[in-house]
Amino acid sequence: MTTTLIIAHQQLRSLSRSGTFVLMLGVLLVMTALAGFIGWSSHSTIISVYDETVRTLTAAGKPIPPNPFASKPRLTLLNNMIIYIPLIGALLAIVIGNRSITDDRQAGVMRVVFSRPIRRSTYFWGKLAGSTLAIIVIMAACLVLSAVALTLTNGGLLTASEFLRLVLFYALSSLYLQVFVLVGMVATLLIRSPSTGLFAAVAIWVLITFATPQFTSGLRPVASLNPVTDPATVSSSEFFRATSKAKPIAINEQYKTLSTNILSDVSTTGTIIVAAQLAPIIIALLLLGGTASQLIKRHDFSEEDARD
Amino acid sequence: MSGADPIIETERLGHHYGDAMALRGIDLTVHSGEVFGFLGHNGAGKTTTINVLTTLITPTSGTARVCGFDVVTERLQVQRVIGYLPENVRLYDNLTAKENLRFFGQLSGVENTLQAIDEALGFLECRELADRRVGTFSKGMRQRIGIAQAILHRPRVLFLDEPTSGLDPMGVRQLRDTIVRLNADLGMTIFMNTHLLSEVAKVCTTIGVLAGGELIYRDSLASTLERFPNEASLEGIYMQLGDR
Amino acid sequence: MTRRAPSRILTLAAHEYRSALRSGVLVLLILAMVLVTAGSITIGSYDFKAQITDYATYVAQATAAGITITAPPQFYPLQLLRGVIEYIQIIGAIIGIGLGYLSVARERTGNTLRLILTRPIRARDLFFGRLLGATAVIATILAAAAIISIVLIGIVGGVWLDGAELVRLAIAFVLGIIYMLLFYALGTWVSARSKVVANGLVVALVVWLAVVLIIPQIGDTMDPDNQVPGGLFAALQVQKPDELKVLAHFSTYETIRNTLEETSLTKHFERYSFAVTGIKDKYNGKSLSTITSDKRGDVAWIAAYMALLSVLMWSGLRRERITQQET
Repeated sequence: MTTTLIIAHQQLRSLSRSGTFVLMLGVLLVMTALAGFIGWSSHSTIISVYDETVRTLTAAGKPIPPNPFASKPRLTLLNNMIIYIPLIGALLAIVIGNRSITDDRQAGVMRVVFSRPIRRSTYFWGKLAGSTLAIIVIMAACLVLSAVALTLTNGGLLTASEFLRLVLFYALSSLYLQVFVLVGMVATLLIRSPSTGLFAAVAIWVLITFATPQFTSGLRPVASLNPVTDPATVSSSEFFRATSKAKPIAINEQYKTLSTNILSDVSTTGTIIVAAQLAPIIIALLLLGGTASQLIKRHDFSEEDARD
Repeated sequence: MSGADPIIETERLGHHYGDAMALRGIDLTVHSGEVFGFLGHNGAGKTTTINVLTTLITPTSGTARVCGFDVVTERLQVQRVIGYLPENVRLYDNLTAKENLRFFGQLSGVENTLQAIDEALGFLECRELADRRVGTFSKGMRQRIGIAQAILHRPRVLFLDEPTSGLDPMGVRQLRDTIVRLNADLGMTIFMNTHLLSEVAKVCTTIGVLAGGELIYRDSLASTLERFPNEASLEGIYMQLGDR
Repeated sequence: MTRRAPSRILTLAAHEYRSALRSGVLVLLILAMVLVTAGSITIGSYDFKAQITDYATYVAQATAAGITITAPPQFYPLQLLRGVIEYIQIIGAIIGIGLGYLSVARERTGNTLRLILTRPIRARDLFFGRLLGATAVIATILAAAAIISIVLIGIVGGVWLDGAELVRLAIAFVLGIIYMLLFYALGTWVSARSKVVANGLVVALVVWLAVVLIIPQIGDTMDPDNQVPGGLFAALQVQKPDELKVLAHFSTYETIRNTLEETSLTKHFERYSFAVTGIKDKYNGKSLSTITSDKRGDVAWIAAYMALLSVLMWSGLRRERITQQET
């Protein structure tokens, strides 16, 4: 096995034996299963609400409005995942990134590792590979759960097109979560104290997930937890006409837009626009990856293990 | 140095953690003015004994009294008369030595804390450390501040858990001198867990040996050396006792 | 002259305050809180000012054209606090957890808890001392956020809050202190109970996710009215009486949804704060006693959580658990 894979394998084993990681993973998987159920339950209720509204209005002799939910794509029942991935998934990713460095530090094995013929870059690629594999496995598990949930609640297997879109959605989510793995890693490399590193990464996550949407489109923190954006909460004032120019670099918003399009089966927008929406996420990955790699190259692993 | 009055007494003292028996009915007496060396292999129950005597844990059976006060029912009184330095105490890195000591002094109810701090640091010959952050200290410096916090309120009994752990030879020697002076000049009874038998031989007046949670030996150092005339050092005696 | 030692509770409280402020973590979180508060108020204030300016322009034009001027929309500057209150819900809770975690981690890492517990300190001294210290830290943070809010609403929004509005703002921030203290208690309890204290932090963050974000979010997305931008019933052009008639057929669904929301401490904090500050329109102009009476359910829930978390924090600080060996 190459050294990179050895390090990646150790990373995965360490994660799988961490009680807190397993707990967080459990929460994400439970919420994924629930997302399908909640989506279906809400949708059925809304259809019933519409039918009841029609009955009520008909009885009162009032005109019947059109059904706003006619032929909504089945995958939109998973819209809550567009919120759960940036919430639970991102926090899980931060813990993975944080743990990839602190576990070795606190076990005091850094000095043991680097007294062997291992390049710093190999160590970095090994950690990255381990974290990426972890995210992919987690997203694959979520994919299976979502597919099963949709099949059970809608009484029919997914079509090939639906399945492909689901795969695309989770592939995009893997890419997005990788950003936060790197945020966790970089914060922990910059800050010796394990908890300070974790909190720094969480602070960055809050800024990306809540503060940036408010800045670029006036979307308040709690409003950005709803996959359905109420235009009344988004201001059209001159201030936001200016700040909305920064939207392209708001990776959270690009992720939400892309995800919504994928799940809604919207024949959009063309390759160029999709590439433009993906670009901020890719750029963030490259920048953070480069930073993490440099930090590992220059880090002094001989110092006493960090304490809180 | 053995005084007439018992200052630490345990009667059938026992403690278990779940199914594991840590202490098995220990009967131990330490007299006022003694420097008591408590020996035993790793896992023998020495730290558990100190934890009971310093009121950190409640024994599951038996009784223990320090300065006549029961460690369970008269906990506060015990805490007023003891000082304690645990193993590997780091103190608060972000605070200065004086700030650390002021905090602990106030918790002990010391009046004129600043004066007490100055006296303690003077006694330990480390006044120059007062305004420096503890995070910058070496192990030896931390140890001295650790002892300072334990003696601020002039306790009658001082408990030291592996005080030489991690110290260099100079640090060990300084600690030895400090213990001798605390006992001779301030009249403190010292109860010390240690592995460093060479230091026990130089400092202690009485020794006790714990094995598997049982007190297998207790006597004055002088009597011990007489009883084992064929052993060249305390180490040999300790090994013999452990083999029994 | 003999100087008596200060009370142990005050000593512990002062220690907690000083240690928290010297901790890099807290400074970081406080900065984040101050930044987002300033950002949120600035953004809202620009918008607020724009609305006032728009209305003034309209009045001038209407006057010039001789058209009847419609009444001005109601401008309630305290409504600009909405974003800040939501950030207290989210970031404030993390700060509370962080404080609680650090309080425990500091003693474990420095192995200083044994030094404290072998001194004549009662369990309640430790409990109240820490709580008082944490209250002082949180009050400092929220006082800074409150002052920034008042100043920015004045300078950017062009409106200075009057006495009555300042009282309501103060009440909202005091509520925020209580809210953050509850998460402090949670952070303390989970960290004290964990064998490895850093794991306690992660567990506390998971609880935070569930209580602050997930449960309220589920409650909101299960609301039929939130499924269409602008509101379902608005899209169907259904008036309130008909809306209620329709929803009467879905009482079980609504009961489940409401029960879920009721379990969220965050929701109760939000509802009461929004009522006091008039962010919820129907409470504008209402007296505080009317509001409190109307929101007594939320007050009761907050009180229940206070009782629960006090008990948990107390149990977490019990000496036997703290002295166990751990990494």
